[in-house]
Amino acid sequence: MTASAPTTHAAVHAAGVWKIFNEGLANEVTALQDVSVEVADGEFISLIGPSGCGKSTLLRCIADLTHATRGDIKVAGLSAADAREQQKYGMAFQQAALFDWRTVRRNVELPLELQGWDKAKRGERAMELLEMVQLADFADHRPWELSGGMQQRVAIARSLAVDPPLLLMDEPFGALDEMTRERMQNELLRIRKETGKSIIFVTHSIPEAVYLSDRVVVMSPRPGRITDVVPINLGERNEDTREAEVFFAGVTAVREALRGHTSGGGVRARVGEV
Amino acid sequence: MSSRLRAIWPPILIAVIFLGIWQVFVVAKDIKPYLLPAPSLIFSNFFGSLNLMLATSIYTATTALLGLLFGTVIGLLLALLAQRFIVVNHLFTPLAAGLAAVPIVALTPILNNMFDISSRTPRVLVTMIIVFFPIFVNVTRGLVQVQPVQLELMRSMNAQPRTVLRLLRIPNAIPFFFTAMKIAAPLAVIAALVSEYFGGPQLGLGSRIASSAANTAYGRAWAYVVSSIIVGLLFYLAVLAAERWAAPWTGRARSA
Amino acid sequence: MSDSSHVGVTTQAPTAPKRPASTVGRRARRGLVSFLWALGGVALTILMWELVKWLGSVMTLPFDTSDSAMPHVWTMLAGFTQPEVRGSDTTVFQAVVSATLYSLLVAMGGFIIGVSVGLLLAIVMQRFAFMERGLLPFVIASQTVPLIALAPLITGLGNKISIGSFQWGTTQSVMFIAAYLAFFPLSVGALRGLKAPTSTALELMRSYAATPRQTLWKLRFPASIPYLIPAMKVSAAAAVVGTVVAEISTGVRGGIGRLIVEYAREATSQPAKVYVAVFGAIVLGLLAAGLVTLLDVYLTRNLPKERQA
Repeated sequence: MTASAPTTHAAVHAAGVWKIFNEGLANEVTALQDVSVEVADGEFISLIGPSGCGKSTLLRCIADLTHATRGDIKVAGLSAADAREQQKYGMAFQQAALFDWRTVRRNVELPLELQGWDKAKRGERAMELLEMVQLADFADHRPWELSGGMQQRVAIARSLAVDPPLLLMDEPFGALDEMTRERMQNELLRIRKETGKSIIFVTHSIPEAVYLSDRVVVMSPRPGRITDVVPINLGERNEDTREAEVFFAGVTAVREALRGHTSGGGVRARVGEV
Repeated sequence: MSSRLRAIWPPILIAVIFLGIWQVFVVAKDIKPYLLPAPSLIFSNFFGSLNLMLATSIYTATTALLGLLFGTVIGLLLALLAQRFIVVNHLFTPLAAGLAAVPIVALTPILNNMFDISSRTPRVLVTMIIVFFPIFVNVTRGLVQVQPVQLELMRSMNAQPRTVLRLLRIPNAIPFFFTAMKIAAPLAVIAALVSEYFGGPQLGLGSRIASSAANTAYGRAWAYVVSSIIVGLLFYLAVLAAERWAAPWTGRARSA
Repeated sequence: MSDSSHVGVTTQAPTAPKRPASTVGRRARRGLVSFLWALGGVALTILMWELVKWLGSVMTLPFDTSDSAMPHVWTMLAGFTQPEVRGSDTTVFQAVVSATLYSLLVAMGGFIIGVSVGLLLAIVMQRFAFMERGLLPFVIASQTVPLIALAPLITGLGNKISIGSFQWGTTQSVMFIAAYLAFFPLSVGALRGLKAPTSTALELMRSYAATPRQTLWKLRFPASIPYLIPAMKVSAAAAVVGTVVAEISTGVRGGIGRLIVEYAREATSQPAKVYVAVFGAIVLGLLAAGLVTLLDVYLTRNLPKERQA
């Protein structure tokens, strides 16, 4: 099932992607079966589904951290490998993966060091990013001195360092408590508004997917594939959004999609539209 | 009571009690020095020949230090190779595991024959070999065992293998290095000491302990033992200090 | 997509997950591979040895490469079948084997004593925080005392002890030294292992009103196995080294240490013998390591791979 979006130059174009582990052996697993998805420039899409549905695998294929068995993947018009080499995306993982032996600031500088930026420029940019995530005061602290939520904010700041047009996020808020999670979601939306980046966000949480996304891509396992795409239109998020009718409608729509109930093929009406 | 004081007084208390009981026991039961000298006798021997204690300690400590230095350097080099070329890892790691149980000091007579027995060389070599194994095994582990998510992160940032080595593997391996040093440093002292039993220059602590014992000068022998304890402790404390300076993040709760 | 008439129910019938196989077979295979690599290492060493000897014959090296200092590998092998003493029936090989076995028994005795003492200390230190603060520094400091260097003194002391009809001999002193070297790694490792259970697990036991002893038996001991095994490997190694070196410095009869010293004295006339004796010591170490590994494989046969030491 394809999930196509309207308009222009695609941030990410994935067509007919297959990923098969241990092909030909007894323990062969089809992690991704004929998956196609287009992410428009500036769009926020979530990948959601139960364990084994391939959402993380798809993300890793796009990130060129693993190779698709079959299929075509283009990031900003380039092959996945070229996109990685040219640093066309930033990535955040479920673990913050900060280096214990570096200060917070130097952790954020890491991608810049790898790109050969000089010391002064790096420091400047790192502070800029830390300001954006409101952790500038902690620049000289060590990672273990920060809470889980703060570490993730540093990780997100790091993923923005080279100002890539695309962010790939693999359940970055999964290890956080609910209140911190909601705060981080608002943070992320604010950053996105300020920078206009495209984001692919993998999550387990239905409310999270609905709150953050323009479209929610629903996947299912064995074999991993896309089963539905739910468009979301919550408009401007504010503190009442999570209690709005429109929000619950979206959550319900995604939940039903996960259960396998759809209103039969074709394009769904966008939630929130009449 | 400040927390540092609180940590110190139990062992000091036990030490004082222990020495006290020892002293009283020897005096009360009138135990001859060749059986068990009193603490007072040992201290008087120690402080009475302080210059001699110092000279012999320096001799053995030098052997230990040389062996520690060379063994560490070779261990580090081979660990870098083992991380880079899995063949080296497969060859040396089982060997290291197996040889850990082998009394490497037993090689001293062989080395004495091959090298000049009247020099320090055989002893430094034995110490080197003994020091090499813990350093190699631990540093290799530290270079190899980085978290998969960190490797993925480096890959997503398009880091080349040499950069990954410099920015990720080596810093990751530093705590492992110090773990190995905490084992290797006191071990180097003991190795240097024991290797002196096999003949050669009699200038070190090991030779003096053996000869004092043979001449029934037990107070003197135990005084040399006290010296060797001090040398061992100094080596260990030096490693602790170096660790605190070079790797202040060790022992902290790991960040996610 | 699932049938819409079964709300929220998957269409596949649930099957019981397959029981993970015992890991003994897989680990045996991995052990074999390691062993083959080790053999490769030995072959490489032999090659290097002969290479160095050849180099020494064509140029001057800073050490003696003559046949008396560095006998050829085949001379060493021939040394195995040499008679031990001129005219005697026992070959060098037989002498070394019996000495190795003797030392193995002494080392094992020291290991068992050291492990028992170490375990006891760890249990006490875990149970009473005061004991940990008071004893642990000494446990650590004990290892700075070069007991091996004290071997002659210990022997002298020990020989004076006799309880009833039992006379403490030099062999007992050697075993004592081995035990002394073995107890430390074990008590440190055991202490860490006994303290390893998570607070969640401990709270669970508390909710069952378990006594400290029950918690020890049912929770702490099983949880400490991944820590005990590496500690035992180090202890076994320490016991072997302690045994051999103590034998060397006390010259006690029966063990491999004494043979090494004896044969070393004959090195100029019969260079091969000391090498055979040193091989014996190496084999001794490997045997000890192998025994502990067997214990390891047995104790952790059903644990998942991540929990195996």
